[in-house]
Amino acid sequence: MRVAEQGITQRKFLGLAGNTWTLLMLGVGAVLTTADFILAFYYTPIVFGAGVGGSKTIGGVIVSQQLLFSQKIFYFHVPVAIGSFLVFTFAAAYALLFLVRKDSKFDIRSRVGMEVTLLFVMLTLITGDIWTRFEWGVWWAFGEPRLTTYAIMSLLVIAYFVLRAAVSDDERRATYGAVFCIIAWIDAPISFMITRLIPTSIHPVVLRAGGGLTGLQLTAFLLGLFGMLFTSWAFYQLRLREEFAKERIDALKEALEG
Amino acid sequence: MDPVLAEIYKTVLGAAPYVLAAYTLLWLGLFGYVAFVMVRMTGLEKQIAVLEEAISRR
Repeated sequence: MRVAEQGITQRKFLGLAGNTWTLLMLGVGAVLTTADFILAFYYTPIVFGAGVGGSKTIGGVIVSQQLLFSQKIFYFHVPVAIGSFLVFTFAAAYALLFLVRKDSKFDIRSRVGMEVTLLFVMLTLITGDIWTRFEWGVWWAFGEPRLTTYAIMSLLVIAYFVLRAAVSDDERRATYGAVFCIIAWIDAPISFMITRLIPTSIHPVVLRAGGGLTGLQLTAFLLGLFGMLFTSWAFYQLRLREEFAKERIDALKEALEG
Repeated sequence: MDPVLAEIYKTVLGAAPYVLAAYTLLWLGLFGYVAFVMVRMTGLEKQIAVLEEAISRR
């Protein structure tokens, strides 16, 4: 492995106050996701479910179906899930770059990306599980293609860190991690597309051609999506800065000892 | 309550705690992670300052 760490350790450590862009992105992410929730909770129309034996006029609209309030979980569950797929893709791309160039800075970026992916995967599973519990009456629907492929993906992300922890040699750890990351990533597009490929899947498909989102629903969804993307990028940058700081400390200690 | 209205609104109140729980847990996860990283960063910054001062004294 080339000693690319030197490039990082010699990089000027800016500290939290110096990371204006990262903190700005974090702030924008927080504002957008909060706006998403307020819009989704208070203003977006509730979607209709099963028909009822009659109809009533509510707010000038004739309603003859149940109102599905639980669907509002979608406005932040889907953005965080998309965030997990995208950050995973970045992590896999950096893993590939590491294998090609053997430069440890790409390994660090890939590992940090995987850490953010793990956080987003866990949040996706939690929010999705709460919806599943209410709508389907179970905590987990075994055999449901989306749930199964996403569970496999989450286990692969966890296994990535287990693998890294099990290898002591730096270069081998980075190489094994990169290879595993790329192989694990293959499950991401499969999980994303599975509900469209397998007709028996009962997981809702919201993002589709001529999709069912209109007006406020689409606005709330996009606020959540961009909010999560800003947040995930800010998290990635924050963690990267922390890694720079650790390397800086190592370099300073070496300088003191030398 | 009118039986049709009761049927239309049947799941709304029941679902509200689930929606709130999902949002709360999501935010706790995100905020907890940021707080965790910020605390660690602050500690590392202090360490860097001490080490840099030690080097400059030599």
